[in-house]
Amino acid sequence: MTERRPAWLLAPPGLIDYDVANEAMHTLARRRLDDEIPDSVIVLQHPPVFTAGRRAAEDELLWDEATVTARGGAVRRIDRGGSFTFHGPGQLVVYPILGLGGRPDAAAHLRRLEEVAIRTCADLGATVRRRADVQTGVWVDDEKICAIGVRLLRTRVTLHGMALNCDTDLTWFDGIVACGLPDHGVTSLTRVIGRDMRVDEVSPIAIRHVADVFGLAPTEAPDEIVRPFLAAAVA
Amino acid sequence: MTSIQMPQLGETIVEGTILKWLKSEGDQVKADEPLFEISTDKVDTEVPSPVAGTVTKLLVAEGATVPVGTAVMEIDDGSGAGGNGASAPASAPAAAPAQAATPVAEGPAEAAPPAAQTQTQQPAAPAPTAPAPSTMPDRGPRSGILSPIVRKLARERGIDLATIAGTGEGGRITKADVLAAAAPPAAGTTVAPLPSVGPAAAAVMVAAPSMPAGQGEEAQPISHIRKAIAAHMLASTQQTARAWTMVEVNVDRLVHLREDSKEKFQANFGVKLTYLPMVTRATIDALQQFPLVNSRLDGETIVTPRFVNMGIAVSYDAGLIVPVVKGADGMNTVGIARAIADLAARARSHQLQPDEVQGATFTITNPGPYGSLLSVPIINQPNAGILSLDGIQKRPVVVEDDAIAVRSMVYISMSWDHRLIDGELATRFLARVKHNLETWDFAEDLGL
Repeated sequence: MTERRPAWLLAPPGLIDYDVANEAMHTLARRRLDDEIPDSVIVLQHPPVFTAGRRAAEDELLWDEATVTARGGAVRRIDRGGSFTFHGPGQLVVYPILGLGGRPDAAAHLRRLEEVAIRTCADLGATVRRRADVQTGVWVDDEKICAIGVRLLRTRVTLHGMALNCDTDLTWFDGIVACGLPDHGVTSLTRVIGRDMRVDEVSPIAIRHVADVFGLAPTEAPDEIVRPFLAAAVA
Repeated sequence: MTSIQMPQLGETIVEGTILKWLKSEGDQVKADEPLFEISTDKVDTEVPSPVAGTVTKLLVAEGATVPVGTAVMEIDDGSGAGGNGASAPASAPAAAPAQAATPVAEGPAEAAPPAAQTQTQQPAAPAPTAPAPSTMPDRGPRSGILSPIVRKLARERGIDLATIAGTGEGGRITKADVLAAAAPPAAGTTVAPLPSVGPAAAAVMVAAPSMPAGQGEEAQPISHIRKAIAAHMLASTQQTARAWTMVEVNVDRLVHLREDSKEKFQANFGVKLTYLPMVTRATIDALQQFPLVNSRLDGETIVTPRFVNMGIAVSYDAGLIVPVVKGADGMNTVGIARAIADLAARARSHQLQPDEVQGATFTITNPGPYGSLLSVPIINQPNAGILSLDGIQKRPVVVEDDAIAVRSMVYISMSWDHRLIDGELATRFLARVKHNLETWDFAEDLGL
C-alpha cells in the first residue's frame, strides 16, 4: 500500500453559488500549480445551473434563457471538457483539485472519478457501470447517473470533476441535451434504489471512496480556504 | 527549433482538438507559458511550452482535431536547425507520423469548408493524397463515433445513419454528410464511396423474408452490438474472397511445459499460463516472416504495417468483441499473456475504450477451450487473415521409425483473403507457425 498524500477536504453545507465556487476552485488550482498548497477535494451542492463545456453546441440548450430564469436556474459557459450538464439541489458534486505529477494521465483521472461513483453507488446497493461504448461517466443501462467533466491547468492540475444525482429533480435535464447525447437519459440514486437518497447520506461514503481511489489522506481545510465557499451559500 | 506536439494525456486518448491558439506566430513565449487550449472527450486543458523562444509557425487550424503526437506548432528556441518558416515543412513531419496535419495556409482567413462546426480535421487546401483512412495505419474506421449534433440532426431529418457514407476523418459521418443525405441529390453530385459496413448494415435486417414470432416463440429486439456484429460479418463474407487452410501441430512439448510450470507462472506474473499467448507469439514471428499476411487492401493499394496489432476475439455477454494488443511484435510471451488477460477481463466487464478495439492488423480466434476441433472463421476486415486455434487433443500419430505414439495435437487453421494472398503463401505462413510451436523452447520467453 502506497502512502497517502495529504489533501484538504472542503465540504461546505447548503447550496453554493456556482460562480463563486468556480472562481474559488480556480484560485485553489492556481495555488496548487504553484505548489503553494496541497491537493484539495471540494464536495458540495449548487443551486440550479446549466453549465456548458466549450464543445457544447448552442442548440443543446433546449430551453430559452427566460424559461431557465423563470424556473430559478442560470446558464454558465465554463472551461471544462464535455458538453451541457445540470447541477442543482440533490446532486453531489465533487471537484478534486489534484496535482497529476510528472506524467499526467488525464484518462486515468476520468477512470478514477468513475470508480468513485461506482463504489459509492455499490455501497448504497445500486449497480452502475461504465459505458465505454458510449461515453465517460457512470450509467444504469442507458441512463447516466454520474456526469464527469474535467479541466487541467497546464496539463498538470485537475479542476471540475463529477456530479452524482442523488435525489436531483431530473426534470431539469429536459432543458438540455445532457452530455450531448440525445438518445440517452439520466437517472438518480433515488430512482434506482427506490427510496429517497439525500446528498447528506451519500456524501460521507463518496468522500471515503475519493480518499481510497485517489490515495488521499483528507484533513479539514484551513478556515481561510473554506471561507469563500461558506460565504457563497445561498440556502 | 522545437516542434510542439498534440500531447498524450493518457494512453486511451488518441486525439485532441485545438480549441484556441493563445500565442500567434512571432510571439515570444516563456517556458511553461500556456501555448494553446485543447479539448478531448471529457478533458480540456491548456498546453504549456516546454521551452522559451519565439513562435515561428502554427501548423494546424483552430478547431482541427489531430492525433496525439502530431506537430501543431514550432518554436524557435535558438537551438538552430533551420531557423525560420522556410524549412518548417521539412522538419515538421519528423516528429509526427506521416499523416501530420495539413499546415494552415496563412493566418486565420483560410476558407473553412461548410463542415467547419464538425470535429473533423480541416485541410486548408485540396488534399493531394488519399483521405484519412489510408494514412492512419493504427486506427480503424471511426464511423461509429458520431458527434451529438450529427445524431440529433439525423434524428430530426429521419435519416438512418447506417446508410450514410462518412466523409470525415476515418470515415466519420459529419454534419455535412447528414445534410447532403437529407437533400435531394443534385445533378452531377459525386457520391462518396460507401464505408464497408454501410450497405451491409442496411441489408442485414431485410435479407430474409419476415417470419414474426408465433406461439411458443420469444421475440426480442436485436441489440446494437448484435447488429454491429451482423453487419461486420456479412460485409466480410460479401467483400472478401475467403479461402481456408489448415495444418496439424504437435504441441506435446507445450502441453508438458504448461503442466510443469503453470503454478510458477501464475505466481510470478499473476496471470494464467494458457496456449493462446504462445500461439500468438509464434504467429507474430510468421507475420514478420510473411508481411503480406499482416497487410490490408485499401482500394487498389496494399498497405503493409511494419508492426503487428493483434486482434484477439473475445466472447462476452453482449456477443463478440475483438480487443487489440497494440504493438504485439514488441512483446515477449509474458507481455502478450498479460495484455490478453487484461483486455479479455476488461472486455467482459465492459470497460474497454473505443481505441482498444480498433486497428488490428491480424486476428486470432480461440474456440478450442469450448471443445471445437476445426473452425472456419470469418475474416475480421480489413485484415488479410484470421487464425483459429482449436482444441488440443491426444491422438495416435506416426512418429520416427514408423512407430505409433500418443501425442497432444491441435489443428491450427486460417481463413484468408484470396484477393491479397495465395495458397502457397498461406500454407508457408501456417507451416512457419507450426514449425515455431514444435521447435521453440518457450521456457525462457516465459521467464521460467
